[in-house]
Amino acid sequence: MIRVRACLLIALLTLALPAMADIAIVVKAGSGVGQLTRSDAVNIFMGRYRKLPNGNPALPLDVAALKARFYRALVNKNLAEINAYWARLVFSGEASPPQQVATAAEMRQLVAHNPSAVGYLDSREVGDDLHVVLILNE
Amino acid sequence: MRRWRQIGLGLVLMSMSLAAQAFHASDDGRLTLSGFGTLGLVHSDNSEAEFLRDIGQPKGAGEGWSARVDSLLGAQLGWRFDPRWDLVVQGISRYHDSGNYRPELSWAFVRYRPDPVLQLRAGRLGWDVFQLADSRYVGYAYPWARPPVDQFGMLQLTHIDGADVTFKQPLGSDLVLLKLYAGSSDSRIHVVDDLIADFDADAVYGGHLDYEHGPWRLRTSYTEVRSDVDYAGSIVNEIDSLQVPGLDGEREIERALGFSRLRLFSLGALYDSGPLQVQAMWNRSRTARHHGRIDSALLSVGYRVGQVTPYVAHSRAMTSSTNPDVTDIDQRTWTFGTRFDVARDIALKVQLDRIDTRRPGFLWRGDSDWEGGWSSIFSLGLDFIF
Repeated sequence: MIRVRACLLIALLTLALPAMADIAIVVKAGSGVGQLTRSDAVNIFMGRYRKLPNGNPALPLDVAALKARFYRALVNKNLAEINAYWARLVFSGEASPPQQVATAAEMRQLVAHNPSAVGYLDSREVGDDLHVVLILNE
Repeated sequence: MRRWRQIGLGLVLMSMSLAAQAFHASDDGRLTLSGFGTLGLVHSDNSEAEFLRDIGQPKGAGEGWSARVDSLLGAQLGWRFDPRWDLVVQGISRYHDSGNYRPELSWAFVRYRPDPVLQLRAGRLGWDVFQLADSRYVGYAYPWARPPVDQFGMLQLTHIDGADVTFKQPLGSDLVLLKLYAGSSDSRIHVVDDLIADFDADAVYGGHLDYEHGPWRLRTSYTEVRSDVDYAGSIVNEIDSLQVPGLDGEREIERALGFSRLRLFSLGALYDSGPLQVQAMWNRSRTARHHGRIDSALLSVGYRVGQVTPYVAHSRAMTSSTNPDVTDIDQRTWTFGTRFDVARDIALKVQLDRIDTRRPGFLWRGDSDWEGGWSSIFSLGLDFIF
């Protein structure tokens, strides 16, 4: 019995883990952006080139709760490295970091109302008003 | 020059008063105040010459401990008054050419970004002469206690008053970036203890071409600096005191050094992938006369493990000239250190530089009898941003 329970638990964990680990990069539904490649996403969030494939300017948003996981998945860097990266660009006057948003709800609100905004969410939390352009696996 | 200073000061004051009225505006990201700083302590075992961070510093770190060369504080005010327009003002206080910590206006510019492919800036700008040059005082941004002196210590200017334009063009998943700039500047460097060169650069212009491919950022750049150089100090006075008809101290020194026209070439490569960071750079400056050359090179490797980033770097500086009256410089440095990201926005650094000075020169201050040798510089740094 114990063994069966343990097997069930492991099965549940293996099923649950990938879903929990995925981060979805999202835009406003119907904004005319189909997909982003990984390098598009790096260009947008790292401030190298902020343009969406449909020609609109891209306005990236960072969500405090998910930020560490997001950058680990996107560029394999921790937050200290991301901060150091932005310190160089900000204090040389070259570029600005993404707008910082406290909660996923706030981010969802901003993205759903702005066709230029690009945010990220735990992939299970994507609603109808958002469109997933890239999934990052952890 | 003075007019620019006034404009800069006006911009600072204007932004400050706006900041006072509308500081709550920072919530929506339009008005931002941020800053950076370093508390740096250096220990030198060299009793004959003083260690410098750059050739603008009139005094360096002598034997024993010193907080002079690296400690600094900077602050930036940014104001986005339109989706396409913003204003940036930045000031810094550090030990510099005036021999004290008097704050300087580092940048004050308006920026216009009509489209992600184009950026225009006008006002006081960082001197982006090679990779990392315009962020060399932001200690939190790099692994080292300071940017390697052989490479960054010889830069003559910190900022230019002028304009620049940046074009970006994606090529598949790669990115090409072209930046062109022009302006004027002034600065003072200490060639040796008793010789000061004041640069009034009425034309600084150049540009660079970057190619970004995945973790790689490659850069090639070229800059030209045309200045009226005023030389001062006891060497000039000695030449003048000879009272030989037609012999003028300043003119003789310009003839020997040829600093009135400098041309700088640079190649740089950054490789930044996950925990690994590699930087390689090579620069050559040419002076106006005697085939004068100032060469420098740098290779640095850092690898992060958790919150700890050990690094090692090797740098080199060499000058050469066909003028028999000028002694050349030859110096190599091995740098070993570790950066600890101890808390959010705070990094601690411990670094040892083993410097092999084969022929000393303007990278050190003090006794001109010093013939070079090995020095050990031990550095402790606390870098922060806010």
